[in-house]
Amino acid sequence: MVEQGNLKNRLIELNMGPQHPSTHGVLRLKLTLDGETVKKVEPIIGYLHRNAEKICELDFYCDALIYFDRMDYVAAMNMEAGYLEAAEKLLGIEPPERVVWIRTIMAELSRIASHLVWAGAYGLDLGMLTPFFYVFEQREKILDLFTEISGSRQETNYMSIGGVYQDFNDKIVYLIREFLDQFPKKLEEVFNLFVKNDIFISRTKGIGILEPDVALQYGVTGPMLRASGVPYDVRKAQPYLAYDRVNFEVPISKRKDNYARVLVRFEEMRQSAKIIKQALDKLPDGPYFNPKAKKSLMVRLRGEGDFYARTESPKGEFGVYLVGDGTVKPYRVHVRSPAFKNLSVLPALAKDVLIADLVAISGTLDLVFGEVDR
Amino acid sequence: MKTGDAGFITTTMDKAMEWSRSNSIWPLTFGLACCAIEMMATQASRLDISRFGSEVFRNSPRQSDLMIVSGTVTKKMAPRLRRLYDEMPYPKYVIAMGVCVIQGGPYNQGYSVVMGVDRVVPVDVYVPGCPPTPEALTNGIILLQKKIRGEEDR
Amino acid sequence: MVYEVKEEQSKDGRKVMRIDREHLLDLVKDLKADGYDSLSLISCVDFRDRIEVVYHLFNSKNEDILVVKTETRDSKVPSLTSLYESANWDEREQYDMMGVEFTGHPNLKRILLPEGWVGYPLRKDYDLSKTQYVNMDDEGEDRVSFDPGDGW
Repeated sequence: MVEQGNLKNRLIELNMGPQHPSTHGVLRLKLTLDGETVKKVEPIIGYLHRNAEKICELDFYCDALIYFDRMDYVAAMNMEAGYLEAAEKLLGIEPPERVVWIRTIMAELSRIASHLVWAGAYGLDLGMLTPFFYVFEQREKILDLFTEISGSRQETNYMSIGGVYQDFNDKIVYLIREFLDQFPKKLEEVFNLFVKNDIFISRTKGIGILEPDVALQYGVTGPMLRASGVPYDVRKAQPYLAYDRVNFEVPISKRKDNYARVLVRFEEMRQSAKIIKQALDKLPDGPYFNPKAKKSLMVRLRGEGDFYARTESPKGEFGVYLVGDGTVKPYRVHVRSPAFKNLSVLPALAKDVLIADLVAISGTLDLVFGEVDR
Repeated sequence: MKTGDAGFITTTMDKAMEWSRSNSIWPLTFGLACCAIEMMATQASRLDISRFGSEVFRNSPRQSDLMIVSGTVTKKMAPRLRRLYDEMPYPKYVIAMGVCVIQGGPYNQGYSVVMGVDRVVPVDVYVPGCPPTPEALTNGIILLQKKIRGEEDR
Repeated sequence: MVYEVKEEQSKDGRKVMRIDREHLLDLVKDLKADGYDSLSLISCVDFRDRIEVVYHLFNSKNEDILVVKTETRDSKVPSLTSLYESANWDEREQYDMMGVEFTGHPNLKRILLPEGWVGYPLRKDYDLSKTQYVNMDDEGEDRVSFDPGDGW
């Protein structure tokens, strides 16, 4: 028999992960529990550390793209666009106008795909299986478009220095339009599955409140920061690609809780669809490759100096710090990984919450471990 | 009764066991990296893996028969992977999904990636690709079913 | 506090401030008071004879980026954890990868690689040919060794 007096005030240490269904990968959380209440969370990461930054230094500038594909592996196009922002500045190669628009379209499609995966996984976290099937149906359609244009479903390696792998033809434009015609209606179906569900609302509203000053202290960016009321979006703050020539709004919320983060991500998907539609209308004619960066000459490109490019990936501000020393290989590649920063706020966010709420909170961080650990 | 008759009965029982075992492979939810998303796609609406009896993804290794190693195995993860494998009940099977799992893939010049999961656990079926398409993974599961039933491949 | 700052413009138009590491903390404290309320990124670059530490500060009001650069020859730099919470993990990552010791950091240990790993992999003199193996002991802690143990 255990005396009740002994059980009182006893803290229990519990390991959650690295193999756990609701940690979205190989995250390990060291929890200190007082009954059902979480007193302390210590995230332990590095179970997917794949030395991408080191290997980038060993290869040519053009080869680093495949490792960037595999960083945020659900939004490969955004990663490629982020790397090329820095690499093209370093190597002094301007992409042609058509390429800029094509990249904008692909990056936004990729953003939708990433948010869809998040929505499905977050539904699973909260015990909702149905949205998972709805969102993957839509995601498969986007991956079909990627297969059509790049030959690969997920890790596309579509963009390359000074251009893209293959030009847009009438067929792919038609297919993207066809996708966009049915997408908003399907998205609302999924959205209603979330916001018209009482259990979902009671598990998200008012839980996991992130104050804007705390968020900035921890370097949180992206939908998480915007759900706390700070309207920072790199696409508006420092426009890259063609984002200064399309109309879209940056959704923010003042609620600061889990529910706000869900709403912001759904609104972002709607805005992305809007951007793609405008970009398809404005798609100019022209070459799809800068002749200075011919495929056979790509290994001879060199550059010097240090460059930093920030882009808006689905998770937040994705920054690439690139140093060249005048040789054909990058000297140092360092990545500002938004998911890494968003995870670091979890100990502050999940203090004195119930263990079930911890799952609901960590789901809204939108973690992808290829990017956290690199 | 001759021994031959008894032998006939046991082999038929074995066949029935193998048949039922091969059609109810329960995989472990064990997503490591990029390939895990394709594993989710295999489970999801378009390529419904439950057509082959493998839709019940179990969260506990003690309830599962199959471990789909989906994604790069790092050196830090390898001992944990081995522990999960040891916790699975017999008979257990492993599918190595993706080139990272098979031989290190694009990361094999680095320092922190295991050059093939077969150095840690025995592998039954290799599914190459980076990442393999859901169709390839489905093919891998069908191959494993054939292996369990003792059939010749193709 | 009096300190000397060398201001320059990088090739892609960022404002760069160079400072010696003794006055780094004072400069960043002043910059934080000026509105740079978020630390975006800490990167280290190994130039063999010295390590350059690059800080990207972010201003949430005008959404601007400012670069502060300092360098060290004995791999020691003051920690910014007293000013920014995000410095905690960033400095641990740089310590893990580059071996830069951030003095004053409350919990400076490896974050990505297991504890006990030999060498700092992103340094230019890191030997990639020597394979290290990780095993788990009964408590669940990592043990790193150069010869493959049991289970491998």
